[in-house]
Amino acid sequence: MSNGTSATQCAHHSFCLAAGLALFGIAGSLAALPSAAYEAVAVNNGGTIEGVITLSGAHAGATITTTKNQDYCGASIPDPTYTVDSAGGLANVIVYLKDITKGKPGPSEPIKLVNDHCMFSPRVQGAMVGEQVTISSDDPILHNTHPQNAETNATIYNIALPFKGFSVTKPLPANPELIKIKCDAHEWMHAWIMELDHPYYTTTGSDGHFTIKDVPPGSYTLAVWHEAAGEKSEPVVVAAGKTSKSKITLAAK
Amino acid sequence: MPFRVARLGPTLAGLLLLAVGAAGADTGDIRDGKVVYERWCVTCHGAEGNGQGEAAKYMSTKPRDYREGTFKWRTTPSGSLPLDSDLEHTLLNGVYGTYMPTWGFLGERSRQDVIAYIKTFAPRFASEKPQAPIIIPPEPGYSDESVKRGSAIYQKYNCSQCHGDGGRGDGPSAHDLKDDWGNDIVPYDLTKGHVKCGDTATDIYRVFMTGLSGTPMPTFADSMDPTDAWDLVHFIESLSPRYAKNFARTAANSTARANP
Repeated sequence: MSNGTSATQCAHHSFCLAAGLALFGIAGSLAALPSAAYEAVAVNNGGTIEGVITLSGAHAGATITTTKNQDYCGASIPDPTYTVDSAGGLANVIVYLKDITKGKPGPSEPIKLVNDHCMFSPRVQGAMVGEQVTISSDDPILHNTHPQNAETNATIYNIALPFKGFSVTKPLPANPELIKIKCDAHEWMHAWIMELDHPYYTTTGSDGHFTIKDVPPGSYTLAVWHEAAGEKSEPVVVAAGKTSKSKITLAAK
Repeated sequence: MPFRVARLGPTLAGLLLLAVGAAGADTGDIRDGKVVYERWCVTCHGAEGNGQGEAAKYMSTKPRDYREGTFKWRTTPSGSLPLDSDLEHTLLNGVYGTYMPTWGFLGERSRQDVIAYIKTFAPRFASEKPQAPIIIPPEPGYSDESVKRGSAIYQKYNCSQCHGDGGRGDGPSAHDLKDDWGNDIVPYDLTKGHVKCGDTATDIYRVFMTGLSGTPMPTFADSMDPTDAWDLVHFIESLSPRYAKNFARTAANSTARANP
C-alpha cells in the first residue's frame, strides 16, 4: 500500500535518484486517476454473500485499565479486541471482496466515528475511497482523533475534540489504505478504518455474522481482516439471485 | 534552471523535469542539494533521509525522518505537506531546544537546493500538493483582559490535559505520548519562554491551529475561532516574561519569512 521505503533500498545514489524519480512519475499518474479501477453500474439480479466469522483458540476476556480521567472514564473498560458471542462468532471483522472492478454505486454519506465514554465507536469499519468521516465527541473531556497509515504510522491528520458535542467532517485519504486511529490523550483508545476502492465490504456484528448484497454474478476472493487475529481469504462464487454461504475461522493470537 | 538541467545526462534531466513538473514550483536543484545535504545534514538525518544518521542515537529529540513528508512546522493544515517556504523557515530558525541549528549561512540558493533534495525522500511530494496555508488574521493588541480571556480558553479547551494546569507540560496525559516513529515525546513546557517552532506570537498561534504533524499535538482550527486563539496566544505569552523579550528580539531582526 505504500512505496514510502523505496528510497531506502537503493544502494547506489545516482541510481537511487533516477529510480526514485521514475517511481514518482508513476505514482503521480496513478494519483491523477484514483477511482478508474472501479466502475459503478446498476446491478440487476445480483447475488448475496452471507456468513459467519468465528474465533478459535483461547483468548482472555481482557480489561483495559485506564490511566487518566478515571472520574469520567471509570477505572477500567472491557477490552473489545476479541468480542466473541457464546457460539464463537467474532465481532468487528471487516469482510470484503478483493479485485472487484464493477458493481453497485458507493455510499455517499460520511461514515461516523464517535468518541464515546473514552472509546471509539465503531471500533472497526470499512469506507469507500472518496467518502468522508464525521468525527464527534460525546465526552466532556479532551480527546484527539489521530488517524495514521497502519503500515507506516504516517499521520493523516490529528484533530482536537475539546468538548462534548463537537463534530467535524474530514476527507479520508485519496488512495485506499488501512487506517488506524488513536487518541493520544487516552492511549488505550484505538479504531480502524479499512478504505477500499469499491463498496463491497461490511463489518461483522456481535454474533460474527455478515451479509454482502447486490454482488454481480462471478468468482471473487472473499477476504476478512481482524485487528488482532489477522487476515484470511477464500474463493467465493456468486450466482444471479442466489445466496452464497461462507464460514471462516480465525485463530486467536 | 535551464542551464543547470542542461548539465545533466539527457535521461536524468528528463526524469528531473517530470518530477519538477509533478511537484509544482520547485526552484532548487536536486543534484546541488544532494551535495549540500551530504556535507551538512547527513550526520543526523542519514543518507537515506530516514532520520537515522550516525549522530541520531545520541539525540533525545530525534532528527526528522523525511520519508513520509510529515513535518511539525507548517503554515498548512493538519496532515498537509509543508510549503517550501515552511521548510526554509525551519532552516533559517533552527528548532529551539534540539540539535537542529540555524542554517542562515548556507545562503538562499543552497537552502532552496537542499529543500528540493530533501523532498525527494518522500514520494508524497511528487504525487500530492500542499494545501493552502491557514489564514491568520492580524493580532489584536496584547492586554491583561485578553490574557484573562485566554486563561479561560486554556481551561475550556482542556489544554491542561497534556500541558498541565500551569502550562509546565505535566498534565494527566503527559506521560504516555509517542510520535509517529514510536519515540517517547513530552508536551512542551510553555513556561520556558521559547517555543520550538519560532518565537513570534504568530508562530504560537500557528502551532495550535495547524497542529504538529507526527506528534500528539492536534489542530484546534476546527473548534477554536481566531479571536479565542489570539487570547490563548496572549495567555501563553503571560506564562513567562521571556516571551516578551524574545518577541522584541525577533521583531528587531524580523524578516518577511519569520512571520509570513
